[in-house]
Amino acid sequence: MLKIEHLSKRFGDLQALNDVTYNVEKGEILGLIGQNGAGKSTTFHSILSFIHYDGQITWNGQLINEQVFNQIGYLPEERSLMPKMTVEQQILYLARLKGKSAKQIKPAIDQWMQRFEVKGKKTDKIKSLSKGNQQKVQLICTLIHRPSLIILDEPFSGLDPVNVDILEQAILNAKKDGAAIIFSSHDMGNVEALCDELVMMRKGEMVLHGEIRSIREQFGKNEIFVTTDWSTVQLSQLPHVVEVTALSHQRYRLRVDDPVAGREIFQRLSNGEYMEEFSQQPPTLDEIFRLKAGDPR
Amino acid sequence: MKKMWIVTLTTYLRQVKSWSFVILVLSPFIMLLVSFGVGFISANSATDGNDIAVVADQPALRQAYIKVAGKDKVDTKLTTEAAAKHALKANDISGYVTLSQGIQYRAVYHGKEAMSASDKTQLTGFLSKLQTQNNVAQAKLTHRQLQQLSLQPTFKQVIQKRDGLVKTARTVSFWILVFMVYMILTTYSSITAQEIASEKGTKVMEMVFSSTTAAKYFCGKILGVLMVIGTQLLVYLIGGWISLIAAKQMNMAKPFFDQYGSLVDQVVHNLVNVNLLFLFLGVIIYTILAAFSGALVSKAEDASKAAYPAVYLSMIAFFATFPFQNNADALVVKIMSYVPFFSSYFMPLRIINQSASLMEISISLGLLILTIIGLTWYISSIYKGLILQADESHFWQRLRKGVAYK
Repeated sequence: MLKIEHLSKRFGDLQALNDVTYNVEKGEILGLIGQNGAGKSTTFHSILSFIHYDGQITWNGQLINEQVFNQIGYLPEERSLMPKMTVEQQILYLARLKGKSAKQIKPAIDQWMQRFEVKGKKTDKIKSLSKGNQQKVQLICTLIHRPSLIILDEPFSGLDPVNVDILEQAILNAKKDGAAIIFSSHDMGNVEALCDELVMMRKGEMVLHGEIRSIREQFGKNEIFVTTDWSTVQLSQLPHVVEVTALSHQRYRLRVDDPVAGREIFQRLSNGEYMEEFSQQPPTLDEIFRLKAGDPR
Repeated sequence: MKKMWIVTLTTYLRQVKSWSFVILVLSPFIMLLVSFGVGFISANSATDGNDIAVVADQPALRQAYIKVAGKDKVDTKLTTEAAAKHALKANDISGYVTLSQGIQYRAVYHGKEAMSASDKTQLTGFLSKLQTQNNVAQAKLTHRQLQQLSLQPTFKQVIQKRDGLVKTARTVSFWILVFMVYMILTTYSSITAQEIASEKGTKVMEMVFSSTTAAKYFCGKILGVLMVIGTQLLVYLIGGWISLIAAKQMNMAKPFFDQYGSLVDQVVHNLVNVNLLFLFLGVIIYTILAAFSGALVSKAEDASKAAYPAVYLSMIAFFATFPFQNNADALVVKIMSYVPFFSSYFMPLRIINQSASLMEISISLGLLILTIIGLTWYISSIYKGLILQADESHFWQRLRKGVAYK
């Protein structure tokens, strides 16, 4: 288990992290979300001992040291590899630095390249690959030594939908193998699809932490999706409705200030008749993100 | 240690497998081969055109002169004046000598240019000897009279050859050594600084530092570069030794070694001793400095500028030795021979001139080694900070930030 306790970090006048505490269990995926400068990368750099920090970070009860490094797979935010190396040399070099032997890794390279659909040969120089394929090779470098703690900094940025699916599958496979996974993302769709838990950060502070479902629930079911022939003006005059958004023809989203008002709104809209759609839901993660992590629209 | 070794080996193999390294190492040998080749070709092509022919009425006289002149200088196939004349016209020979014997010996040289002074001396000497023998026989002198007439004045030169040789050897050794130190330092400072600077601020370094400590990575990198330098020196030592042996066997180089053989031996002796250790340690300390300055550039694109501090310092030390090449006892030389970064130039200068005691050499070596250890330890400890920061602030700001990176 990755245990982060009272993690704080200050860069000059900037409080980059302030008393952050949470755990990531084995076989669990935790999403770390927040705006730029919220402290996500600083958290990762602290876990990897790139910087000195206040507080404590342990993996399976052990402070992070070189032995623990062997169990970590880390994908940095921006992509870069050693351009003059071949794909095979690059993968072997980083895997050997993770304590694996060439004998262990060599036979697996082809298989991983196939799995990530890398266009190119393992004898190709890194610089000859397209950006997307270099990104895939870097992912292979992160995962090929089968780490038990995986740290991915914005892993989905720059990937097309097909490659997002491939990466999602790789993350889920690692989870199945029992790895503890922590990744940052701006895309709430990925977070919602993959994560068991999330940590939302704002200016170094942890503003939300928990299971995604319970976080959404704790905001209450204050969104109502309806399909009706009522106009926007008529809908905005309903009790407790604070905002009406037209989603498509005759389909609206109503935001209410009290979830209990849903029953009365249903009765007024249906008037005892059949309604094509009436669904009361908690806010989406995207909305929660806007509300808590950034400036609400 | 294993991870450090992986970094070392990767750095080493990447360098030695590159074409630039192969060319760098082989270029002196290629130049040597080319110059030998050119010398050989010109010597061979010059042979025919520079020959002379010898024509004489008496075959015995002709053979006697050919024996004196040397068969390699004479075209022995030409025996008649007509043939020699024809060969001269066709530029196959440089000239021909006609010899005749009577009461007086006669020699006539026919050529497009005057006979060389040495050949002339040789020919007149040969004929004088024969003429004297003939005169003595004609005069019917007694043995005693003959002996008295043969008396010649004597002249002897006594030259302090050893002292002169040592001085020349020192000068030659000094220039070879300082140029060798300077060239190797400059080359490897640039290679190291660029290698490190190209990694500066790249995210792959975050992947590396999530696998091993920055100290191990730095030491591995330096060790890798040192192995490359060691390989180059080893190739130079073995190649130089083989070239020397081969050159000594070659007829073409024989006159050179006859004249300068002991000078060459003296120079080799001056170079292949503790000076090599100073050279090697000097390269290490400059490599570490180059790595440090490489880590201080603002971004990977500035890699080409990274070597400047190390190269400039090396250049200052290099030029600073010039005024003292014949004054190794000067106080400045003595002081500089203990100052790391300068001692690799100044102590060998003193060693070549035999102005440093074993104790002084040991102290200088000790200081150099201690500085290398201290510098490696210090840079290792701040290396992660220097490499991972990627801002474009002022040099001193970057240095301050890097040093304080926590």
